[in-house]
Formats: sequence, C-alpha cells, structure tokens
Amino acid sequence: MSFKLFFLLLKAAGWTLSISLVSILLGFALAIGLSAVLLSSKRLYRAPAELFISFFRGVPLLVQLLFIYNLLPFIGLNVPSVVAAIIGLTLCTAAYQAENLRGGFESVPRGLIEAADMAGFSVRQIFLRIKVPIAMRLTFPALVNEAIMILKSSSLVSVVGIVEVTKMAQDLASSTYLPIELFSSAALIYLVICWSIALIGRYTERALPGGVK
Amino acid sequence: MKKTTFLKAALGAAMLFSASLSAHAEDVLAKVKAAGTLKVGTETAFAPFDYIDAGEHAGLNVDLFAEIGKELGVKIEWVALPWEGVLPGLEAGKFDVVAGPATITKARLERYRFTVPIAEATVAILKKAGAPISKPEDIAGKAVGVGKATAQLAQLTEFSATLPTKVDIREYPAFNDAYADMAAGRIVAVANSLPNIAFVAKQRNGAFEVVLPPFGKKTYFGFIGTKDADHASLVDAIDAALLKMKADGRMAKLQEKWFGQKFDTPDAVKDPAF
Repeated sequence: MSFKLFFLLLKAAGWTLSISLVSILLGFALAIGLSAVLLSSKRLYRAPAELFISFFRGVPLLVQLLFIYNLLPFIGLNVPSVVAAIIGLTLCTAAYQAENLRGGFESVPRGLIEAADMAGFSVRQIFLRIKVPIAMRLTFPALVNEAIMILKSSSLVSVVGIVEVTKMAQDLASSTYLPIELFSSAALIYLVICWSIALIGRYTERALPGGVK
Repeated sequence: MKKTTFLKAALGAAMLFSASLSAHAEDVLAKVKAAGTLKVGTETAFAPFDYIDAGEHAGLNVDLFAEIGKELGVKIEWVALPWEGVLPGLEAGKFDVVAGPATITKARLERYRFTVPIAEATVAILKKAGAPISKPEDIAGKAVGVGKATAQLAQLTEFSATLPTKVDIREYPAFNDAYADMAAGRIVAVANSLPNIAFVAKQRNGAFEVVLPPFGKKTYFGFIGTKDADHASLVDAIDAALLKMKADGRMAKLQEKWFGQKFDTPDAVKDPAF
C-alpha cells in the first residue's frame, strides 16, 4: 500500500476526529442541562428530559442519522451532511452523558452534604465545592468511555454523506483491491486515536481534585 | 397561564415551519443558476460510472456532469451516499438530481423522471475465472451476488424463477462488496449491467470473466430527477445538454473512454421492457 493511500485515510480521519470532538463537547454541554432537569424534584420538569433520553438511547444511532438527514427537510430544515452528522452524534451522546452525570450527582454521599450544611456552606458553595468535584470524579471514567464510543460510532455518519475513515477505506479498497491493507490501516488509525483519548483521560483524571496520584 | 403561552409558542413554531414549506415552491433551475452550483447525489461504488480511483472521484458521471455544468453555467457539487440512501435523499431535497445512474424501469418511471439514457444497462453475469458457467442458465443453484435495492436484483430474481433450481441470490450494500466477495470465493458470480462488469473484468485482468450473452431484457441507464413541476425545467435543461452532447459526439467519446465502446441509446425511454 502506497503512502498516498495512507495519507488519504489520515485526511478522512480528520473528519472522524473533528465531527466526534464537536459532538462530544456539544453533547456534554447539553448533558449538563439535561442532568440538571433530571435531578429536579418536580415530575413535570423531569418528564421531557426522560422522554428525550429514552428516545435517543432507544433508537439506533444509524436510524437517528437517517431520520435527521431525510426527515428534517420535510419540516423546512434542510441541513447539510456535516450538520446532520453532528446533530445525530450530539443528541445521542447527550442522552448517555446526562444519565452518567445524574448517576454521579446522586452518588454524592448525603452525609457530606449535611455536614457542609451544618458547617455553614451556602447552597451554591455546597454545589461548587462538594457536589461538582465528587460527581466529576465519579463520572469521569464513564465520560472518557463515552468519548471513545462516539469516536467509533462516527463510522456510521457515512450514511449521510461524510467520507470518514471507514468509508474512505471502503472506497479505496474497492478501487485498489487492497482490502486487507486498507482495513488494517483504518483499524490502526482508530486504535491510535482511541488510545490517545484514553491516555489524555487518565492524566486528566489524576489531575482532578482527590485524584490517585 | 403557562400552558397557554406554551401553546402559543408551539403554534407560532408550526406556522413558521409551514411558511418555510411553502417557500420551497420555486423553480429549481432558477435556484441552481442563482446559487451557481448544481447538487448531484450519487453512490461512489458503481464503476465505471462512479467510483473512487485511488482517492479521486472518477467515472463517466463525473465527466458527463462536468460537461452538463458547462452547458448550464454552474459548478457541480457531489453528495455521495450509500445507494439505498440516494433516492430518499433526492425526495428529501438533499440534492437537485441523482447521477447513479439507475436502470430505467417501469416501476421507477412511475415515481421519478429519467433523463436522456446515457448507456445500455442490460444485465449479464460476471463469473470468477474458471467457474463452471458457460451460459447464463448455468447459475441455477449457485451463489450469485447483486446490489441491494437495484433493478439488477429485480431482473436476477425474475430470471432465477425461470430456472429449474433457483439461484442462491446474495444481496450486497454495493456491487463493489459483491466483487470483493467473489474474489474471496464466497460467491461464484455477480449479476450486473454489461458496461459495469466489462469494466471490472478489464480492471481485474484474468480474475473475472464476463458470461455472454446478457440474460436480462434490453434496458438503459439514465440520471434521475423528481417529477414535480419545480424540477421540470432543471431536468429539461439536463436533457437538452445531454442531447447536445450526443449530437456533437462528446457523449460517444466519453462512452469510448469508459466502456471501450459506443452505445446506440434512444433519446428517451417511455416504455421500458422491464
């Protein structure tokens, strides 16, 4: 396999990486809002968030992508391929990340919160000084997991017209008849990216307050 | 109180959507010319019409649309999807026209409007070199690959029904996957249109062989547009460009380039054989 083919795969990896990264970050922002609603004591507020999560966790990402790409034009929103891909991945990952965050916040020991309350912490201080650091530590490994999952799921966005690593490998394999070389190179590229995410995740986790040094 | 404001907002949003829906009703050719780009949907796994040649989008489609673009005075923007997604994408307005190309069939003519035919599409068998198939009927009982959601699949199914033992038909996402599986030995033959398999046989020199004569009915390939009034002027303009290219010999030259032969195609297919 020539260097040129590998370079084309790397270029396609740019799409994989950028679409995944944007979706993970947007998804995280959305997940913060969703989890806040999930933690609300009012059933009326929780219901729409629960509905959102059950939909985006319950429908395969492939179907969601086709849905967004082909159905939105009928309500007047004709989004280009890249936008459809990012919307699909973002909404999907937001649903999972929101549940992770909810779990994290609910696992903060009640005793700590009560102790802080007695020590005179304000609600805001309890949230920022007690709940957020503990929840962050508890959910961080799951968030890194989710980032890796989304990066690999991004191979599905070729159905809405994005030529990312997997699709590029398929296209090249069918014209050069080198499937083994191309698919192993694609696998290697995924492996290197995911391994880097895991490594960054591990160092960040150690740097978090209360980390195991 | 809160409920009524929510209802009002929902109503407003619905009205906005319906307003943008009605704004869709406008002449597509005028829109394309104003934007300066014609969006063409296609599948890049259909050599020699449309494929990725070592990273470059290539094929008869690319050359023909480059000429159509010149005639219309617009640039071509390609949108590549898996074949099952291409026609739904056209209906959702993701692009203005579909390259493909697709076999002009009765069923498709009911729903879509085809352009001037660009090549013959009659289906034949491509076999792995050395496989015991000397005429199309010999595929009875054997594993034969074909593309999913294609007219070639429909013709193969029809042909299989006429044989003493049915063909073991295997459907693939794209014809390229079927060729790959034939190379790997999982199937012994692939049914596809003659121009496609002639090209593949030439590229894989010696590994695959074309079985003549074709078994399918005489059919043709065309590009696909929608039937609605908004798209009529665009498909008319593409037809005019293709006819002009047929008359001045550019079409024949491109067919020679990609198939090694010219095709005697009609100017329009109103009543396809299949």
